[in-house]
Amino acid sequence: MSMNKSSAPRVIEITDGASIPDPRDKNLISAWSLAFVGTILCTAYLCWNDPDAYLEALKSLPGGVLVTFEVTACAILLSLPIGLFTGLGRLSRNRIINLIASTYVEVIRGIPLLVQLFYIYYGLGRLFKVPAIFAAVIAMSVCYGAYMGEVFRSGISAISKGQVEAARSLGFDRRQTMMLVVLPQAWRTILPPVGNEFIAMLKDTSLVSILAVGDILRKGREFASVTFMYFETYTMIALVYLFITLILSRCVSLMEAKLAYYDHK
Amino acid sequence: MKKLWYLALAAILGLLAAGSAFAEEKVVTVAHDCTWPPMEFVNEKQELVGYSFDYMDAVAKEAGFKVEHKNVQWDGIFAGLANGQYDVIASSVTVTPERKRQFDFSEPYYEVLQAVALPIDSTATSLDQLKGKTFGAQIGTTGKFALDKHPDVIAKSYDEVGLAFEDLINGRIDGVVCDDPVATQFALLNKDYAKKIKIGFIIPAEQVEEYAFAVNKGNQELVDLLNKGIRAVKEKGIDAQLKAKWFKSAQD
Repeated sequence: MSMNKSSAPRVIEITDGASIPDPRDKNLISAWSLAFVGTILCTAYLCWNDPDAYLEALKSLPGGVLVTFEVTACAILLSLPIGLFTGLGRLSRNRIINLIASTYVEVIRGIPLLVQLFYIYYGLGRLFKVPAIFAAVIAMSVCYGAYMGEVFRSGISAISKGQVEAARSLGFDRRQTMMLVVLPQAWRTILPPVGNEFIAMLKDTSLVSILAVGDILRKGREFASVTFMYFETYTMIALVYLFITLILSRCVSLMEAKLAYYDHK
Repeated sequence: MKKLWYLALAAILGLLAAGSAFAEEKVVTVAHDCTWPPMEFVNEKQELVGYSFDYMDAVAKEAGFKVEHKNVQWDGIFAGLANGQYDVIASSVTVTPERKRQFDFSEPYYEVLQAVALPIDSTATSLDQLKGKTFGAQIGTTGKFALDKHPDVIAKSYDEVGLAFEDLINGRIDGVVCDDPVATQFALLNKDYAKKIKIGFIIPAEQVEEYAFAVNKGNQELVDLLNKGIRAVKEKGIDAQLKAKWFKSAQD
């Protein structure tokens, strides 16, 4: 992928999150398939070999998987509009809007998500008595809204100026140009890195376990705190997270391949 | 040049000899989770203090060994002991059959009950009257285990009991379950909290809960050493002095 970077300026490089398998990598044994098959075989072998420890540890997690997905899905839905408005705000010619959006991004990106979670739940908790899951979703969306804003901004600025000029000379106003010409094109550039952010978000939901939210990590820790099987439990937690993120990264890569197909058509 | 090497070698050997002479008094590393006032906590001066600190120091003095205190997270405190990061846990560990299967324990040094902290206007006197309510406890503590035995109530596990109390104050949960000296500290002695919460009742236990020092399975030598110290502390009445020092009543 990196080799094609220079010739394909529409691809934005965002390196956090999971590694997205390269759709052009058509080898039978790719890093992705190796990791995926390895994860499944490893989980199956451990559960078969020592069911009392590994299978029991695995059984303690499904409730947590549900909560993890719940938090991730809600945070995605909330962070997308926040990201879009932030991205647009960062490109706005209105100096006040621009300043607000830029300050938001600067402030949020400078504070670790863990601290934000503590701040929203325990810090502001005396003023706003929101339930833990709600606080977790808010904190994740506010944080990832800022990250996403940067993705939107770079995606929008990647659309060539000629498009805007053409639309403007055809009589579109600035708003129409953005809504009807720039955004529909930018969408395709933005989607893969946004998908990448989602995967990073899913992994970061493990942080919400400190708010006593019963996600995968907390369910596992509760199991380990009773059975003292720390190694077995954390191994299973890691494998479950890996399994989920590998599937998601596959989805993002398929989506990327599909978008690239339309690109070259 | 060669002379210099010999000199250096002699210096290193000398240091090693000095080191081993030092090590004659056994050093025991002790882990505490300092979020459990008044048993073990961090005071206003950022010092690690508490009943179990003083108790451990007294035991060490009586049994003739040196103590190195370590502040660690509760969740994982047993894993750290098993991994050999320290020799003893002196962190209000109640002896339970499950823990006894994994670790060895000294003689008990303190008796506790599971107390339930409730909002100050609550009139409940048992968990049965609070069906469907949400209760907080610290992960992996006997308070959490006591809640797990009552499927009618919803149990939430926190990293620190202090965070559970904060949620109770903020009205997000309906009660907190923890050891009675800790509940007293939070519910009665903290001025801000005392206006809003109280100790509602004690969860009846099938058997007495007792704190003891935990060591790795098979470390009989250390268990004997600790027991020797504990017996001396009890005989000399040092434990009574420590209780007077650390367990103040709400009237003070």
